[in-house]
Amino acid sequence: MGSDGDDDAPLLLDAKAKRMRDLLSSFYAPNPSMPSHSHTDSSKHSSPDDINSSSFDPNHYMNILANNSNLEGLLKRHVDMAAEIKNLDTDLQMLVYENYNKFISATDTIKRMKSNILGMEGNMEYLLDKSRSDSVNTSLFEKREHIEKLHRTCNLLRKVQFIYDLPDRLGKCIKSEAYADAVRFYTGAMPIFKAYGDSSFHDCKRASDEAIAIIVKNLEGKLFSDSEPIQVRAEAALLLKQLNFPVENLKAKLLERLEHSFKDSQLNPEEIKNASPSAHEVAIREFAEAIRAFRVIFPDSETQLVEIAKDLITRDFVITEEYVTTRICATDLLGVLRVIWNESLLMDEVLQEEALSNHFLEGAKAAVKLYVESSFSQLLLDISDCLLKVLKRDEAEEYSLQVARDASTKLALQGGRNILLDVCKILDDDSGIIDKLRELIIDWVQEGLQDFFRKLEDQFQSFSGKNNSSATQIHGLTEAAAFAGLVLVLAQLSAFIEQTAIPKINDELAVSFSAGSDRGYEYGPAFIPGDISRKFRSAGEKFLQQYINIRTQRISLLQKKRFATPKWVKHKEPREVHMFVDLFLQELKVIGNEVKQVLPQDTRKHRRSNASSASSKSNSFREEKLLLRSNTQRARSQLLETHLAKLFKQKVEIFTKVEYTQESVVTTIVKLCLKSLQEFVRLQTFNRSGFQQIQLDIQFLRSPLREIVEDEAVMDFLLDEVIVAATERCLDPIPLEAPILDKLIQAKLAKSSDQNTSPSS
Amino acid sequence: MQGASSGIGYGLKYQARCISDVKADTDHTTFLAGTLSLKEENEVHLIRLSSSGTELFCEGLFSHPNEIWDLVSCPFDQRIFSTVYSNGETYGAAIWQIPELYGELNSPQLEKITSLDNHVGKIKCILWWPSGRHDKLISIDEENLYLWSLDVSKKTAQIQSQDSAGMPHKISGGAWDPHDVNSVAATYESSLQLWDVRSMGKTISIECSHVRSVDYHPKRKHVLVTAEHESGVHIWDLRKPKVPIQELPGHTHWTWIVKCNPEYDGMILSAGTDSTLNLWLASLGNDDLSTESQAESPTHWVDPLLNTYSDYEDSIYGLTWSSREPWIFASLSYDGRVVVESVKPFISKK
Repeated sequence: MGSDGDDDAPLLLDAKAKRMRDLLSSFYAPNPSMPSHSHTDSSKHSSPDDINSSSFDPNHYMNILANNSNLEGLLKRHVDMAAEIKNLDTDLQMLVYENYNKFISATDTIKRMKSNILGMEGNMEYLLDKSRSDSVNTSLFEKREHIEKLHRTCNLLRKVQFIYDLPDRLGKCIKSEAYADAVRFYTGAMPIFKAYGDSSFHDCKRASDEAIAIIVKNLEGKLFSDSEPIQVRAEAALLLKQLNFPVENLKAKLLERLEHSFKDSQLNPEEIKNASPSAHEVAIREFAEAIRAFRVIFPDSETQLVEIAKDLITRDFVITEEYVTTRICATDLLGVLRVIWNESLLMDEVLQEEALSNHFLEGAKAAVKLYVESSFSQLLLDISDCLLKVLKRDEAEEYSLQVARDASTKLALQGGRNILLDVCKILDDDSGIIDKLRELIIDWVQEGLQDFFRKLEDQFQSFSGKNNSSATQIHGLTEAAAFAGLVLVLAQLSAFIEQTAIPKINDELAVSFSAGSDRGYEYGPAFIPGDISRKFRSAGEKFLQQYINIRTQRISLLQKKRFATPKWVKHKEPREVHMFVDLFLQELKVIGNEVKQVLPQDTRKHRRSNASSASSKSNSFREEKLLLRSNTQRARSQLLETHLAKLFKQKVEIFTKVEYTQESVVTTIVKLCLKSLQEFVRLQTFNRSGFQQIQLDIQFLRSPLREIVEDEAVMDFLLDEVIVAATERCLDPIPLEAPILDKLIQAKLAKSSDQNTSPSS
Repeated sequence: MQGASSGIGYGLKYQARCISDVKADTDHTTFLAGTLSLKEENEVHLIRLSSSGTELFCEGLFSHPNEIWDLVSCPFDQRIFSTVYSNGETYGAAIWQIPELYGELNSPQLEKITSLDNHVGKIKCILWWPSGRHDKLISIDEENLYLWSLDVSKKTAQIQSQDSAGMPHKISGGAWDPHDVNSVAATYESSLQLWDVRSMGKTISIECSHVRSVDYHPKRKHVLVTAEHESGVHIWDLRKPKVPIQELPGHTHWTWIVKCNPEYDGMILSAGTDSTLNLWLASLGNDDLSTESQAESPTHWVDPLLNTYSDYEDSIYGLTWSSREPWIFASLSYDGRVVVESVKPFISKK
């Protein structure tokens, strides 16, 4: 111990302070053995020679010391010892003072404590408590904060990681077609992209956007591909919607496509006739499926789909209507209607829309109506065509008139009946398509018939009006003749329609179309046969009259020329029968030909022979009388005589009603021409030769006319009238003598027979 | 048919074609008729309807040198009339005056005022100035139109102007427009041609075939009626010359003459060579073109034929309304029978 203090002075100071503290503590220590130093020291220096140990024995120590040391050492020891004792005394002194101080301060403190101790307990407890929880809290808080921070960071990192991974992940999704996940990811990432897309995650956003674009494209593709199952497509639509994709556009597009697709599947009525499950049907089925799918995909698109379906049906009806106008028969129409009906049923099934079947009904109504109308108009057209063929000059005229008549009458009757039969077929159809239309159809047919006949009559009128009197000069003569033929056919056709076609059609109508008409009784049926018959009767008469007019006009033209050209007052002696007679007879022959083709023969044939014998007798008598009369040269008495003759003779009805027979028409024309002849003669003044010429011509006309004409008495009368007129208008009416007359006539006959034979030989 | 008995008959001795109303005679209903006989002495009959209206009597009988093809009474002097005549070979036209004291003479002779001598061809008719006293006359032959200035007191007539038909067809007759005295219509075979009298130039032409007779509507301007041989009676509006306003069917044979009633609108008589006379009532609608639509409105179709007079033995060429009693008309058939009828029962219907 001493060696330590000796060696190092600074260490000494420390050792000193330390020792003092040890001392103090040993003093205040409850257990003096407790201090570790002392303990260790004691264990270490438990020898009695250790001055600092408790077991120190001064005698022993003195013995040892005295034994071991010399004087010098002893002395020195003594000095040390004395110094140490002095030190220890001062230390002790210092300790006492210090203790005392402490004691005083302690008493002061106790004194102060005495005054402050009140209320200390509560504070103490609070303090205790507080100090305990706070300490927990505070000790945990930091850590927690830290942990939280760490956690946040971790999350952020994970997100960042996610976002960085997003493109890849999306790519994977695309590969595996897990579009739903992809969309989920993307929509998850969306907020971040929204916030930082432009800055930190630019690349990443772009990449994922690209990926999403692919997805969108794929989804669109899916949506559009018909081969995908509906569910998938619906999902795709949903996903697209989630992606904020303008689905409405897509819908519109898809609808468009839908429309387009059914546009491709055009209804082809021709096909329906051939193959029973037509391509169209298949297409419609597909279409229905598509509609069904569409409804699933876009549940809010019902109205649009209904529109499309309506459009489809409308379009089909448009096609049908076109088809209807191309001469189809009822079964074809029914076939088409049935197809459309099925179609609408299919749609109905898919869309459950009342409007559709109504729509179909409307369409069917229109189609059937159109069908009825078009069949009538077709018939009308056929008849017109048939009639107008007459005006074409390529065929031999003799043939075409008859053909035209036969064909047109057949058309009028058969065509009308066929239409009725056809419509009957529609009515008889029991597929339920036209149930509601039945009454309407009946009405339509009735109206159609009425309309048809009215139009037919109009058409006839327009045909006949087409070539009015003035037009005969515009068109060539042959054309005019053809026109006359047409008018004649029209006349006969009108008569036929009035007498045969209408009653027959009416009968048929009564059988098949009498059932309920909703027009009610106050209106009566739309088809009024009486009315139509009347119309045709008057039209027929008009046409017949027109025919006669046209023909007589032509002859009248001949006559006019005949009387306008020569100077009748300075006529030369007649040497032969004038050419005009030939022309006249030729015209009559043409008329006879035409009439024979078109009109029926008079059935009351026997009348002719009776009349002829009687009239020829009277005729010869009249001729004699005429000769006698003219020879007398007393014109005045002659006039009186004619008057008397007229008085006694039954007034000859020249202008009787024309009938639809060959004879009646020809006779009427001849009568009119002879009357014209008489009038022309009355406008002239003749010299003797002129008169004789007329006499000769008329005489020549007698026998051929007799063969043509039905009523010879009237004809003879008219011929006589011509001669009488000529006599009256003659300055010197001396007739040719009978032999000369005969000779000239024979010569003419011989000549004409020559002409007839020479071209044939 | 019906009404046959109502007619009052009068017989000329010979055949005849022309009868004319004596317009200037305001006291009596009088007609002039001329006979057509080649070989006999022709006569002009002055026929008067008795005041009771039940009898026709001969007021005067004058012999005429040739057969008469046309006869028109002067509109301002009942004693003057014009005739177109022929001796069988040549034609002539003259203005005649009935002698003043004809009733007291045994066989009164007609005084010839003047003859219109410039014609070459067949003279068709003579037209008097349509209303009132005027010196103008028009004579028409087959090829030419002459405008004459007649001086009755001096007994002369001078040609003022003329125009030739200038068409291949020949003129068959004519009429002077009572509403526009400058306009004269002439009928051709295939058309109706209008002349302006002042310039003697052609104006409007209407296409229609075989026109035989033409008459202006006395009340309505621009409306005239034509009779055509084969196609009946047509009513025209000169402002729309393309198509007739109305067509009437005419007669079974030629429609020879047509006359508008001077008083009753739309009442038209036509006579034909089928020995019948038809009384028509044409619905001409309103005069204004603007109200034409009204006329076209689908009123119930009425048969325009009011009556047919068929009690004739021969063709009827002569026909005239009485201007004094406009419900009376006189007709002349070829056999020389004058029949005067009243259309009163049909007017009351209207």
